[in-house]
Amino acid sequence: MLSQEEAFFKELLSMYKIEAEEHLKAISSGLIEMEKVKAKDKRKSIVETVYREAHSLKGASRAVNLEDVETVCQSMESILSLMKQDAIDTNAELFDILLKAVDVIDQLINDSEKTDISEIMNKLHSLEEGTSQEKSAEKKKEKSKKSEATPEKKEKSAEKEEEKPEAKHEPPLKEESEPEVPEEQEQPKASDSTAAPSQPVEVQKRLVSDTIRIATEKLDSLLLQAEEMLAAKLTSEQHNKDLQSLSLELEQWKKRWDSYDAEITSARHQSEIKGHNQSQGNGTLIDFLLWNQEQLKSVDTRINELIRISENNARLLGGMVNNLLEDMKKVLMLPFSTLLKILPKVVRDLSRDQGKDVELIVRGSTIEIDRRILEELKDPFIHVLRNCVDHGLEKPEERRRSGKPVTGTISITISQQSGNKVEILINDDGRGIDPERVRKVAVKKGIVIESEAAALSDEECRMLIFQSDVSTSPIITDISGRGLGLPIVREKVEKLGGSLTLESEVGVGTTFQITLPVTLATFRGIMVEVNGQVFVIPTVNVERVIRVSEGDVKTVENREAVIIDDKPLALAHLGDVLRVPKKNQTIQQTNLHQAMLLSSGEKRFVFTIDRILSEQEVLVKGLGKQLSRVRNIAGATILGTGQVVPILNVADLIKSAARITTIPTRVSKTEEAKLEKKSILVAEDSITSRTLLKNILESAGYEVKTTVDGVDALTAARAEQFDLIVSDIEMPRMNGFDLVASIRSDKRTADLPVILVTALESREDRERGIDVGANAYIVKRSFDQSNLLDVIRKLI
Amino acid sequence: MTEARIKDINRILKERAKELSEASVDQEIVEESVEVVEFVLAYEKYAVESAYIDEVYPMKDFTTVPGTPPFVLGIINLRGKILSVIDIRKFFDLPVKGLSNLNRVLVIKTPEMELGILSDFILGVHVIPKKSIHPPMPTLTGIRAKYLHGVTDEGLVLLDVLKILSDPEIIVHDDIEA
Repeated sequence: MLSQEEAFFKELLSMYKIEAEEHLKAISSGLIEMEKVKAKDKRKSIVETVYREAHSLKGASRAVNLEDVETVCQSMESILSLMKQDAIDTNAELFDILLKAVDVIDQLINDSEKTDISEIMNKLHSLEEGTSQEKSAEKKKEKSKKSEATPEKKEKSAEKEEEKPEAKHEPPLKEESEPEVPEEQEQPKASDSTAAPSQPVEVQKRLVSDTIRIATEKLDSLLLQAEEMLAAKLTSEQHNKDLQSLSLELEQWKKRWDSYDAEITSARHQSEIKGHNQSQGNGTLIDFLLWNQEQLKSVDTRINELIRISENNARLLGGMVNNLLEDMKKVLMLPFSTLLKILPKVVRDLSRDQGKDVELIVRGSTIEIDRRILEELKDPFIHVLRNCVDHGLEKPEERRRSGKPVTGTISITISQQSGNKVEILINDDGRGIDPERVRKVAVKKGIVIESEAAALSDEECRMLIFQSDVSTSPIITDISGRGLGLPIVREKVEKLGGSLTLESEVGVGTTFQITLPVTLATFRGIMVEVNGQVFVIPTVNVERVIRVSEGDVKTVENREAVIIDDKPLALAHLGDVLRVPKKNQTIQQTNLHQAMLLSSGEKRFVFTIDRILSEQEVLVKGLGKQLSRVRNIAGATILGTGQVVPILNVADLIKSAARITTIPTRVSKTEEAKLEKKSILVAEDSITSRTLLKNILESAGYEVKTTVDGVDALTAARAEQFDLIVSDIEMPRMNGFDLVASIRSDKRTADLPVILVTALESREDRERGIDVGANAYIVKRSFDQSNLLDVIRKLI
Repeated sequence: MTEARIKDINRILKERAKELSEASVDQEIVEESVEVVEFVLAYEKYAVESAYIDEVYPMKDFTTVPGTPPFVLGIINLRGKILSVIDIRKFFDLPVKGLSNLNRVLVIKTPEMELGILSDFILGVHVIPKKSIHPPMPTLTGIRAKYLHGVTDEGLVLLDVLKILSDPEIIVHDDIEA
């Protein structure tokens, strides 16, 4: 069990993480801004801000005993303070190191155990010392100025009541008028989830302004409760319907009574006339009947009264709930800027790696969108930007040659469209997408056949880049080229209920247009029943509903298929794909089956189902923390009755279905595995790396042969059949480049895929890798086994 | 609490006070017991430290989720939120008794994880002395031993909720590959 102290510390730590993240974002965007801004005074104010952020982060880190973070912050602070005094060269290298330091801190915060700070500390120190040495050697004047600078600074900071070397206190802002709060008192504040992190001034400022901080957890719980109110609305509507049907029943009773009315009246007359001749019983019976009628009539009146009231209630409640939900969703909206803040750094890092000059322009970042959508958008944004930097923009020389400005421009424009939609345009002024090249790759990968490809318009051709495996890049790099990024973008956008288009002109540039709903509200879904269980299929994925008779089902390449619009489409029973156990055979054996043509991206598949229940608005909910991702299931929704219904993930479903139907029936799984075991040749001189590679590959199910250098590998490749080669570059006798070249020049091995795994990561080396004909290039620094296995799977 | 129970506790406390009057440590009386929620599952008595129990929820209905491992019973509607419910009988190879209206879900929670444990019914909240908890029998191996905290003198099986909740194997993350 956690002791109270531990629990407190844990809470403190989680608060710290939130705070640190904000500081880091501010620091890195500040640094990037600084690099752009040339005007001195403006720059100075940015330096000041970043300095302050670093200082706050340092203070907070001390509170949670993250000494390493503290140390790095301290060094950054010193450098920033030199920058404040203009006592350091502000070159690109400096920004590189500072940004690297931000990365290191980020790692430290998330996993302090595994992060080593010695490297970055060395760099930071050398920056610091480099300047001071330079100074002392070069100009005495400078030096004296520098020593002057310190007291001068002290003066400044005295004004701010700051003691730099000890840094005992949080850095108060200049405008701070409050007495300083000692650190000891401040710490508990950091654990208060609604308070601003450890910055008394900030708290004060925020109180004055009209925004406050609220923990997202609290907001989520509020939204949940607001959504629950939907159930109240549905229930009250249901009550109204029940009352109406009751009233209808009474109506029937009335009609019936009316038809007997004449008879009863005459019977009554008769009994009155006959009076006492008849038995007393008949008279009382008639009286009872009449009394009964009166009673029922009054019940009827009261029911009608109730219906009116409940109708009003339902309308009122419905309106209130709708308004509440609407406002609640607005509360959950965040401006795009919260996401866009991280992008300048991403673009900067990517473009530096590529040796390209890129300017990122962002417009419309104040437009608001549902936080949950924003969170999902991070990956798609990064994938598209990678694509822009890696494939879209040309190298500086190439740009100069074609008369373009040397610095490439990527612009992100966000605009509010009519109603509940936003449009995001991501544009680069690069070389554009050549439809011919896409066409060739798509044909080569077997995605379209040549005649089809020829018939496609250029527009349609470009859209093919959103398909898996289609990449026009000649080589797989760490950044892109695997043909995975853009399909992910498409899947995400579609999942969020948005759409994606592409415009591109060769030589002029490419524009991705993403349209998204502003709120992640309800979407429409079709409820279907399969083997007795109910599922929701998002209407977006349903192309059409059809009936399939047994006679329509053909066998094409060992798969069941139906012909729709002259095209054969694979067919499977939804229950079989989901593995929902069949309930006892109550379903009548008919010749006709209900079926749905589902699509996800370009993939289409026909699923037979038992029956379609209805189409309605559904609200997507996650499956809870334990079920982080379940195959074929995207989430669940709660119906008005309280019943929980899983929502299907059509992209998964089509993949699963394809897998089920392609498994040959006779070959057992183990035999199949044996038959399909691919062999890989590893060339690596280091024993540790060699063993590691062997282990990784063998546990992934490949047959592995190892060799110790290029010559050894070449001999093996000529003697035996391999499906792929994984090779190091730096090896004795023959290096990786020469190995690839020799393999390519030999007819027998010319088509053999080769992956270079290497410590060399310069652009020149990567390009040399392309030149000699390697299929992929993986840098050891960023090496992880899933990365390698992914690439292998792409190649064989 | 029944009177007999209170008397019981009083008696135990008195006895302990006596024992401890010689030793100078007197805080241990509080430290040495643990409050548990006792429940019945498939004719066996189990207990979970009450500190980890967020609430006990009556399970009226649940929805099975295809593609999840057998220990996942399904998902339920916990006041508008979806909660997954696990069936620990699957861990312990216990006979599966059908669901009844008496089924209760123990909602257990840490900041990182939240799930429901299926139970037949709840016996109540009890305080058991730590001394009476013994390590699980050595014959138990694998997952059974992993999730057990211990067994009491009365044969009550104390589950180790933290282990269950922090076990990465409990998380279903089935990323489908192309």
